[in-house]
Amino acid sequence: MTHRAFITLLLALAVSPGICPAASAEAQAKLKGAVNQVLAVANSSGTKAAIATSVRPLLQRYISFETMTRRAVGPGWRSLNASQQAKATQLFTTLVIRTYANKFTPGQMPQIQYQAATEPATGRVDVPTTVVYQGNRYTVTYRIEQPGWLITDVVIEGVSMIANYRSQLDATFKKGGAEAVIKSLESSVSKQP
Amino acid sequence: MKHTALLSLSAALLASCATPKAVVNADVAVKSKAKAGAQPLQPEATDHLDDYADAGKVADPLEKLNRATFWLNDGLYTVFFRPLSKGYEKALPKFFRKGVDNVFENVKYPVRVVNCVLQGKGERAGLETKKFVINTMAGVGGLVRVSDKIPDIADIPAEDFGQTLAKWGFGHGPYIVLPLLGPSSTREFVGLAGDYAANPANYGLYFYNGNANHDWMYIPPPSNTARSMPDQFEKYDAATKDAVDPYLSARAAFIQQRDEAAKK
Repeated sequence: MTHRAFITLLLALAVSPGICPAASAEAQAKLKGAVNQVLAVANSSGTKAAIATSVRPLLQRYISFETMTRRAVGPGWRSLNASQQAKATQLFTTLVIRTYANKFTPGQMPQIQYQAATEPATGRVDVPTTVVYQGNRYTVTYRIEQPGWLITDVVIEGVSMIANYRSQLDATFKKGGAEAVIKSLESSVSKQP
Repeated sequence: MKHTALLSLSAALLASCATPKAVVNADVAVKSKAKAGAQPLQPEATDHLDDYADAGKVADPLEKLNRATFWLNDGLYTVFFRPLSKGYEKALPKFFRKGVDNVFENVKYPVRVVNCVLQGKGERAGLETKKFVINTMAGVGGLVRVSDKIPDIADIPAEDFGQTLAKWGFGHGPYIVLPLLGPSSTREFVGLAGDYAANPANYGLYFYNGNANHDWMYIPPPSNTARSMPDQFEKYDAATKDAVDPYLSARAAFIQQRDEAAKK
């Protein structure tokens, strides 16, 4: 390789968006650790119903529920006062944990293959995975962000959990304001899982 | 610029990827501030990495009618189709149902390969053909998905007519909820008609049955509907069970899933 070609290659590597190996590696390593821990705890839970309670502390360590709730509510978030924001975050956290926990059955461990991570923006890494669970294959992408490389979204088969709630809660806010958002979250949480 | 200066610049840029977390955090904060100063937040965004404003959006001029159809479908699922689906799950063991699913998915090969070709994806059409031949020959008529063990054909994104129309530049058009079939859009409804016409399962299948008096067994088209119900309900429940507004959730999930499929 000539000097010029080598320098061009180095420059291309340095300035390409989406290629920052250390950031991706750090984020992916943190995700793998988190997923392994959550699966181990979920797997050792006595019953399916007990999973949500047993994985809650771990999920709260690895997921940014504040970011998730803010984005799920959308621009209306700015109109919620501090106590409404805290209430919405608490309710949405319960809803997300329940949704996530319901996907697992104790004793049935999924096989997860991690693919190459991408970095769509500074401070954001997306990690695509293929999950084989109960004989079916699913594509699951984790969105992880700084600070702390915390999970901010889970995209299953192309469907983003946060985008889905955004479409619902944004419409709820536009119809009925902050109170309607809180009431709708309370109603969802109170439904039988 | 001298070579050494260029090398130093490149090295510095590369090294920036490998900085410790605290430095990266500080870097993000500085960049966010700089960005915040340069570009104000979009009205629909809650922060600079919030890109959810348009995700899953679609024109829904028939929302009142669609909502009525959605709830009518929901009632029919509960009263009639869900018990049928549960009965099917109870009557046949999981491995048997999986085999039946595999057969019907394998038979759908013409839909996938035709749409690979229509989208100019020649290499993928070749892989689909390889997958079909291997699963049919080595997988006993498609009962066993041998392709899962072969990396280059284990995860081929399944093409269909809706994705072809998207690739050709057609937008969704108005969102529609079809009686019984559920979420769709004008484009996807046209695509669905194409998929139906090109799927051999909709004309009835003949399956080799060497041990019986008749060598060939006829499998009527409704079997395809029956066998796919458990999977369909799983998807439907995933979108609606913990939803704040099940109608909007099902709509956003459908549009996102189809948009993502069209990108692959």
